[in-house]
Amino acid sequence: MDAKHILTASWGTPLQGLLEGSARQYPDKIAVICGEVRASYTLLNTLANRFCGALRDHGLQKGDIVAILHENSLNFIAAYFGALKAGAVVAPLNTDLKPNGLQPILLELLPKAIIASARQTEKLESCSEEVFARTAVLLSDGDSSARNNRFDLVSIRHIASYPSTDFDPVRTISENDIACIIYTSGSTGKAKGVMLTHGNIVANTRSICDCLRLTERDIQMVVLPFSYVFGLSLLHTHIAVGGTLVINNLFCFTGGMLEQMKTEMVTGFSGVPSTYAFLLHRSPLVAFRDSLPCLRYCSQAGGHMTRKVKLELRRALPDHTNIIIMYGATEASARLTWLDPRYYFEKTGSIGREIPGVTIKTLDETGGEVRPGEIGELVASGPNIMLGYYLDPVSTSRVLDVHGYHTGDLGYRDGEGFLYVTGRRDNQMKVGGYRVDPQEIEDVIMDSGLVVEAAVVGMPDDLQSTVIEALIVPVIVTDGQEELFVHCARCLPRYKVPQHFFVIAELPKNGNGKIDRRQCAEMISHLQARQRTAVESRSIHA
Amino acid sequence: MHDQIRQFILVNFLFGDGSRLFDSTPFLESGIVDSTGLLEIIEFLETTFNITIEDQELRSVNLNSIDNIVRFVREKQKQ
Repeated sequence: MDAKHILTASWGTPLQGLLEGSARQYPDKIAVICGEVRASYTLLNTLANRFCGALRDHGLQKGDIVAILHENSLNFIAAYFGALKAGAVVAPLNTDLKPNGLQPILLELLPKAIIASARQTEKLESCSEEVFARTAVLLSDGDSSARNNRFDLVSIRHIASYPSTDFDPVRTISENDIACIIYTSGSTGKAKGVMLTHGNIVANTRSICDCLRLTERDIQMVVLPFSYVFGLSLLHTHIAVGGTLVINNLFCFTGGMLEQMKTEMVTGFSGVPSTYAFLLHRSPLVAFRDSLPCLRYCSQAGGHMTRKVKLELRRALPDHTNIIIMYGATEASARLTWLDPRYYFEKTGSIGREIPGVTIKTLDETGGEVRPGEIGELVASGPNIMLGYYLDPVSTSRVLDVHGYHTGDLGYRDGEGFLYVTGRRDNQMKVGGYRVDPQEIEDVIMDSGLVVEAAVVGMPDDLQSTVIEALIVPVIVTDGQEELFVHCARCLPRYKVPQHFFVIAELPKNGNGKIDRRQCAEMISHLQARQRTAVESRSIHA
Repeated sequence: MHDQIRQFILVNFLFGDGSRLFDSTPFLESGIVDSTGLLEIIEFLETTFNITIEDQELRSVNLNSIDNIVRFVREKQKQ
């Protein structure tokens, strides 16, 4: 058994123990690099203790909610672990939310404390008084004056004045206590708060570390927000093994980011499909191919990445860099499956097999398991599956039952045990009596090589009930899309060929980089209306 | 050049409200521009000032504020 396995075997709850363990084992090692800041594990743990002290000083008790509204930074990490140390339930919130999206979430949480960056503090000033009904303190990077007299405002700059107390609520926290509430992106319907326990997250962290063979030598480039479960899992796993997190919040300046990967000798990079699409089409990745000798792997999760992008990525990355396809959900603390990179070409379309501790079944509508090759819903069980949605037993009962967590994803398992996702149960459209999944059409569009990104949406239509429309970001902007029509007509049955290809600059995405299908539909509706007006105007002039 | 760039940012990303926009304001960190916006800025700079921005030049120091852009475009035009 090597050092890593001795370490992982000793992990246990609570979650903050991951930081405390690494601070003991690697006190002087760099835990976080962010801009000019390089913080050791000792410094990070001390800072977290001070956050804990500040929160306890304001009366925070076990189980109270702390909302963090802060961009990725050393302060985020220290605040996160500090709040856990204080026994809080932590809700890291998406910093891209506008006040109207933030308000209902804060109203649901009624946090006892809020930790916010300067920019986010300004946003809080637009929220109504009710969201602060239980708030005792706002810890802020900003200079904003308190918007009312009901809670204290503490500058994070003064956090050093709080003692680095060795407060130890550990013995009072069990693995079934809630550690985090993470809000799903809410691109379809209301955002839901996923309750994850200390046990959920630690179990999943351990499994991911095993699959990726993470050790204290790993240096991870972090471009995904910690408010997103995939980003948060990068934090948990690397802190757990005593690795280093390089935080870069300026991903779209890809030249600068790749230079930093080279300088910091980064070993791991993680992204969602749009991250890789951007890297392939607007970055000097190929020029850096020989400058990333330490880059051990790139992992991808957060949705389906097309075969074409996977193959292009394989060509662009150094030969020694493994590409690891993963699949998961917020409701699963992060990850459910991974594709061992040895099968990257043989099983290109697969999401791989379950990570340790997870079981996935493909079930039909009656709850019976389907046979290999047959499509069913992917239903997951294991110690990483959430407790439920916060204050929402109805939504919880829709997805959690005796079988486990119903992912809403449709797919199948092949004869060798590899899983494939074929689409979303709720994205399926009925077109001319046929069940159609947008993913299949998007894959064909991407395979044409003419397009950087594509989203296919079923739009309501008076005559045909539903018509298929596509939003595309072309490689080269041309007047018409004849070539793309011809390609689709060659690869797809007629009823699956989109009616129009609307050209835009970039697909609308949520803060996590995932395609926002609701916004895509709104955009198409607007473009359809514009097209109708143009046609009407042409016919009047004719 | 400065005024053209500032005007483009103002009209396209701030709906004419310049109260938050200083020449040194970092676009991304201040939430003025996202990745889509950055691509729009690049297209604007390439067509307006007749320059080509290489992928290697996609760096904060070149493109993340009005000051940075003005300095960068001037350098490019000298080449």
